[in-house]
Amino acid sequence: MLKGILFALLGGACITLQGVANNRISYDIGTWQAATITQLTGFILAAIVLAFVRDGSWKDMRQVPALYWFGGAFASVIIFSEVTAIQYIGVTFTIAMLLIAQLCMTFVIDSRGWFGVLRRKITVPQCIGVGLMIAGVLILKL
Amino acid sequence: MIMGILLAMVAGALVSLQTIFNNQVNARAGSWATTTLVLGMGFIASFIASLIFEGSGTFSLQHMKPWYWISGAIGVGVVFCLVQGIKRLGPTFATSIVLIAQLSTALVFDTTGWLVAQKIALTPGKLIGVLVIVVGIIVYKFGDRWVGKASRNKKPATSHTLGQ
Repeated sequence: MLKGILFALLGGACITLQGVANNRISYDIGTWQAATITQLTGFILAAIVLAFVRDGSWKDMRQVPALYWFGGAFASVIIFSEVTAIQYIGVTFTIAMLLIAQLCMTFVIDSRGWFGVLRRKITVPQCIGVGLMIAGVLILKL
Repeated sequence: MIMGILLAMVAGALVSLQTIFNNQVNARAGSWATTTLVLGMGFIASFIASLIFEGSGTFSLQHMKPWYWISGAIGVGVVFCLVQGIKRLGPTFATSIVLIAQLSTALVFDTTGWLVAQKIALTPGKLIGVLVIVVGIIVYKFGDRWVGKASRNKKPATSHTLGQ
């Protein structure tokens, strides 16, 4: 349990660290280049881990509908947008808006059952949660 | 300001979409095969975008510092931590902690000015704003369970319960 919490905390911290690191790198070599380098080194490292772990066969990839292979491609726009947003409005505001948009999008996709997601109704607590997050951002910017 | 907000929201919407796409891959292939594919696709897309928008500037990397090369390792560390966290805590609890950690870390970077262009002072207002967002995340993730429990216990979910 404690170990799980530590992993989750570290994972979340690293997500933000990655955005900030990309922001720093972009000053020196450009934003698209920063995205390219980060994804390339990440890809190489993941491929090495995959070679050792062998957790799932690549053959199974054939069973994945081709559309979903390209999810990773969104990363280029995500990194570019996040890095540029950090330059305009700072890290906290950027991450706050990013999380709100992320949860709202998940909300919409869940409620429509798009992309093979199990259809779920939007519930009152979810609306209150998003409402509170928006209120928080407003307080943040007061 | 508006530009920054819009870009952050585009990023957030795409993170949601990407997570769903990746989960579809993950459901059939293993998590490391998925990660390798996702980062490989990210590299190809970024490289193409870089060629389109920066042209030959894509290859002018004279200002590279050595640590830039290993920045991608952070992403691999993220996947490892998330997989471990979700395995031990389940997705709802784990992602709540992840989201809260993301936001708290952001506050640390702004306050210390580490790796960012400008330091942003930590005011009581900022702290309260972040805390309210954290409460919002918890209500979003766990609200259903509380309401479910409360109705099973024939106790209505009061706003007090939701606001904890």
